[in-house]
Amino acid sequence: MAEAVKEKILAVATITCTIDGQQITVPKGTSVFYAARQIGIVIPAFCNHDKLKPVGACRMCYVEIEKMPKLQVSCATTATDGMVVSTNSQQVREGRKAVIEFTLINHPLDCPTCDKGGECDLQDLTFSHGYDDSRFGFNKMRFIEEEKRDTFDDLKIGPEIVLNRNRCILCYKCVRANKEAFGEYDIGAFERGDLTEINATPGGEVSNPFSGNLVEICPVGALTNSDWRYKIRVWLTKTVPSICNFSGSGTNITFYKEDHKNFVYRVTARCNDAIDDGWLSDITRYGYQIVNSESRLKTPLIKKGGKQVKASWDQALAVIKKHMGEIKDQSGGVCIGGLISPSLDNASLYSFSKLFRTIFKSNNIDFRGDYRYLPSVTDSPFTIAASQPFSIADIEKSDVIITFGTDLIREHHNEYLKIRRAVNFFEATAYSVNPYAVKTADIAKSEMVYSPGTDELVINGICLAAIEKKLVDSSAAAKLKPKISKLSLSELTKQTGLGKEQFKELAEAISSAKKITFIVGEIVARSLERDKICAALSNLNKLFGVQDKGQLAVLSRYANSKGAQKLGLSATPYEIVKAELKKIWGEYPDCQPRNTDSMINLMKKEEIKGFITVGTNPMRLYPDRGFASEGLEHVDFLVACDMFETETTELADVVLPLCSWAEYDGDYINLEGKVQTGKQAIKPKYEAKAAFEIMELIASQSGVKLFENEQSRNEEIEQLLSLNSVLPWPDDFLEIDYDKKSSRDDYPVPLFICDDPHHSGHLTEKSPSLLNFSDSAYVELSKGMAAKIGVADGEPVRVESPVGKIVVPAKISRVLNSDVAIIPRNFSSTQTTSLLMRKKRVDSVKLTRVEE
Amino acid sequence: MILSEKTVKKINDKLSKYPKAKGMILPALTLAYKQLGYVDNEIYIEISEIINVPQLEIAEAASFYTMFPKKPRGKYLLQVCNNISCALLGADAMVDRLEEKLAIKRGETTDDGLFTLISVECLGSCCTAPMIQINDDFHENLTRQKLDELLEGLKNGK
Repeated sequence: MAEAVKEKILAVATITCTIDGQQITVPKGTSVFYAARQIGIVIPAFCNHDKLKPVGACRMCYVEIEKMPKLQVSCATTATDGMVVSTNSQQVREGRKAVIEFTLINHPLDCPTCDKGGECDLQDLTFSHGYDDSRFGFNKMRFIEEEKRDTFDDLKIGPEIVLNRNRCILCYKCVRANKEAFGEYDIGAFERGDLTEINATPGGEVSNPFSGNLVEICPVGALTNSDWRYKIRVWLTKTVPSICNFSGSGTNITFYKEDHKNFVYRVTARCNDAIDDGWLSDITRYGYQIVNSESRLKTPLIKKGGKQVKASWDQALAVIKKHMGEIKDQSGGVCIGGLISPSLDNASLYSFSKLFRTIFKSNNIDFRGDYRYLPSVTDSPFTIAASQPFSIADIEKSDVIITFGTDLIREHHNEYLKIRRAVNFFEATAYSVNPYAVKTADIAKSEMVYSPGTDELVINGICLAAIEKKLVDSSAAAKLKPKISKLSLSELTKQTGLGKEQFKELAEAISSAKKITFIVGEIVARSLERDKICAALSNLNKLFGVQDKGQLAVLSRYANSKGAQKLGLSATPYEIVKAELKKIWGEYPDCQPRNTDSMINLMKKEEIKGFITVGTNPMRLYPDRGFASEGLEHVDFLVACDMFETETTELADVVLPLCSWAEYDGDYINLEGKVQTGKQAIKPKYEAKAAFEIMELIASQSGVKLFENEQSRNEEIEQLLSLNSVLPWPDDFLEIDYDKKSSRDDYPVPLFICDDPHHSGHLTEKSPSLLNFSDSAYVELSKGMAAKIGVADGEPVRVESPVGKIVVPAKISRVLNSDVAIIPRNFSSTQTTSLLMRKKRVDSVKLTRVEE
Repeated sequence: MILSEKTVKKINDKLSKYPKAKGMILPALTLAYKQLGYVDNEIYIEISEIINVPQLEIAEAASFYTMFPKKPRGKYLLQVCNNISCALLGADAMVDRLEEKLAIKRGETTDDGLFTLISVECLGSCCTAPMIQINDDFHENLTRQKLDELLEGLKNGK
C-alpha cells in the first residue's frame, strides 16, 4: 500500500518555473533545456542528445538563472520550483558568442572542403550566435599523422568511418552514444586538455553494428562517412521519408536522393521514439546501396537452350502464359506453387495471394522461405504466439525484461537498443535466457545458457519452480502440475543445464514484475519444435498471467511478416482471414493447402510443376539446401522475380527484375502491427517492376484483371487489415510431451545458422559498405571450443554435418562461452544451409582443424 | 603474459574490494606500472581480461594520466623542475647540461637504458631551487658541480 502511494506521489511530482516570462509546469527532474523546449524555446547546443545523459561539455546551452551568479548550462541544470530563467538575455547572447569563439580556436575553417558543410551544427550556430571575427591570432593546433600528412589529416578509424580530429569540438556525443546506447567499446576519448582526441581503441577499429550513428550525430565534420563523403553536397539532394526494409520493426528512415541521376545517396534516421529512438543499425543505414547496385537484374531473362538470354517484358510474359497455361490446363492449378518474400509491401503480397487463389485456384503459397518443416495448421501454438500484440515502446516501460531464444543483435536491432535503454536509463532488470551466450547478456542481471534443444523444458522448469515456491495461484498450479511434471525439477536441471536457483530466479522475476516484456525470437521460431515450445509458453503465460501485466510474443523477423500473416499469405491463413477472403472474392480454393516444405516435397514427386518465387531465395535460405535444390531442379517451369541473380534465379526458366522498396510507395506492417508507408524515392531502375505490377501482368495474360483499380485493391487490403488477427491462447493448460534427446557423439557441436550482425537475409551482400564490415562466412566459436580443436582466429575449420561439409575461417567470439558453432547465412560464397537437415531439431556438426 | 604472476595475483586480490570492476582500472594500472615501469596497449588488454572491463576504458584512463609512462623508461628518471623558482635559478641551464652529458634530448632515454630525462612542473620545493627529482628522491640546491657528481654517482651505481 505504502509502496503504491509513494509511487503515485513520485509520478505526479511537478515543479513550476518561469522561462522567458512564460510559466511552465514540468515533471520533477526535467532539465531547463527540455522545460524550455516544451514551450517551443529551442536552446542551441552541440553536446546534448535527446537519448543520452547530459554532460555539459560544450557550454553552448548557457542560460541566465535568477539568483545564480553565473550563466548555467541548461542541459545539466535541473529546473526547480520558482526558478526564473532567461534564455536570450544580453548576458546569455554574449556568453554564447564567447563559447563559439573558444570552440573555433582550434577548429579549422575548412568548410569549403568539409563534407559536413550545409548540415553542420557548428556552421549553423556560428552564423546565428557567433562573432564574425576572432581574437585568437595564433596558429591552430593540428593533429598530424606523419605518414598520412597528404590525406588532409583524415584518419580511417573503421570500415566506413573517417576521422578528422582537427575538426572535433569534443562534445563526446559519439563516445557517449557508443557506450550508453549501444554498449560498444570501440571509440573513446584519449589524452586530456587541449591534446584530447577522439579515436578508435588502440589497435582496433570502429566496426560495431551501430557505428553509422556516430557519424550522423557528430555536430561537425570530425566523423564522416566514406559512403557519403565527397559524392554530393547535401543541399543538392532531396529527402524522402521512408522505412527500413531489413528490419521487422520498420525503422523510420530518410532517403537522400538526386532526381537527375535517379540515385539514392544515403539513408539517415527519422527519429520515431515508438520504434527506433533515431538510432539506425548499419544494415539499415548502408543496406540502401543495393538499390543503386550495378549488378541488379536489368531486363527479364528467358531460358533458351539451357542459357538465360535477355528478353522484353512482353516476351517473358508470353512464355509465362504459355507454360503456366499448359500446366494449368493439363494438370490443374494445384500444380502451381509460389513463395514470396515477407519483406514486400502489402499490395504485392495481397496481389500474389489473389493471383494464386483466384486465377490458378491453388492454395500453394507461403512466405516463410527460411522456416523448416511447418505443420499446416491454423491455430498451432506457434501461430498463436506469433500473433500476439507487442509494443516496442513498452519495452522501456517494463521493469522486467526477459529475452528467450533470441540473439537480438542478429535479429532485431531496435529492440536490442530499447532493452539497453530500459536497463541503462530506466532501471529495468533484464534476463537473457538462450541456448548460447548472446551480446544482450552484458546488461542482463543474469545470463542463463541452456543446452540447445531443451527450450520447452526451460519454460516448464520456470513453471515448476514457481509452483514449488508457491509464487502462483494454487488452483492454476494444481491444474498445470500434472501436465508438465513428467520430468521433475531436478531432472529438468539435468536436461537443460540450468540450476534450480536459476529457474527460481526467473520464476520470481516473472511473478514479481509490475510490467513485463517477454521477447521470444528466431531461435524458437526457426526450431523444428516451435509448437511444443510455444505450447509451454502458453502455459507460462496462463500460469503467471504474463500478458495481464505486460507482453509476450514471438517477434516477427521481416519487414512485413506481420502483413503477410494478416493478409493470409500462408497456405493456411487464419480462419477469419479465410472467411473474409471468401467474402471479398466470392470464392476460395478448397484444395489442400501446401506450405514451403510440402511444396518442395511435391516438386520432387513432380506434382508441383510450375513455381513462382518473388524476392526470395529458398536455395540459400531454406534450412536444408539439398532438399530445396532437389525440389527446384525438378520443377518444369520456374519463374523467379528478384533484384539480383541468386541461386534460385540461376535455375529459373524466366527471370523477372524486381523493384527495390525505394522505387515505389508501399505499406508495411511492422512487428507491432503498425502500418507504415515506405515512400518512393526514385523511379524504378532499369526495367524493374514492383511485385504487384508483375502479378497484375501475369493475371492479365489470362485475360483477367486482379483489381479494377488501385483503389479497389487498397480497399480489399484495408478490409483484411481491419480484422482482429490476435489469436486467443488455448483455454486450458497444454500437455508438453517429452522425447529423449538423441545426441550423436560423432557430431557433437550444436550449430546455429543466423544472420551476421551486419547483414540481413540474402540481399545485403550486394551492399559494398556492409561487405566492408563483413564479407564472407566464418564459424564463430568460443575461446574454449577453438582451443579444443586447436585453431586460432582466422584459421580455416572444416565444419561437417551428416549431410554437408564446408570450410570456413574460425572467428573467436568475445561473447560465446559454450560449445556451439554459429555460421552466418548471408554470403553466397558459402553454402551454409547445406549443413542442415530439415527434420532435425538441433543441427550438430563436427569441427576439425584444416591442416595446411 | 607480460604481467607477472605476482602482479596478476595482486590485481585479483584487490578486485573484490571494489563494488564495480571499473574502479579497479587505476589500481591495476598502478600495479602494472610498478612491475614494468610503463604501461602500453598490451598491458591494457591483459588487464582488461583480468578485471573484465573493456580495453577501451583502460586505455582512456591510462592516456589521461601522464604519470603513467607509455614507453619503457631508463633505470633513473631525471625530472627537472622548470617552474618559476627553479627557472630563475638556472633550471634551463641544468637541462642543457644534462642533455649534453647524457647525449639525449628531453623526453628521451639513453641507449644503455640508464637515464630518462624529462622536465616537469613544480615539485613543491621552491625554497631549495633549483632541484631535480630522481626516481623517488629530491636533490636540491643544485649547482653544476653537484649535478655532475650526482650523475657520476648514478653511473657508477651508487
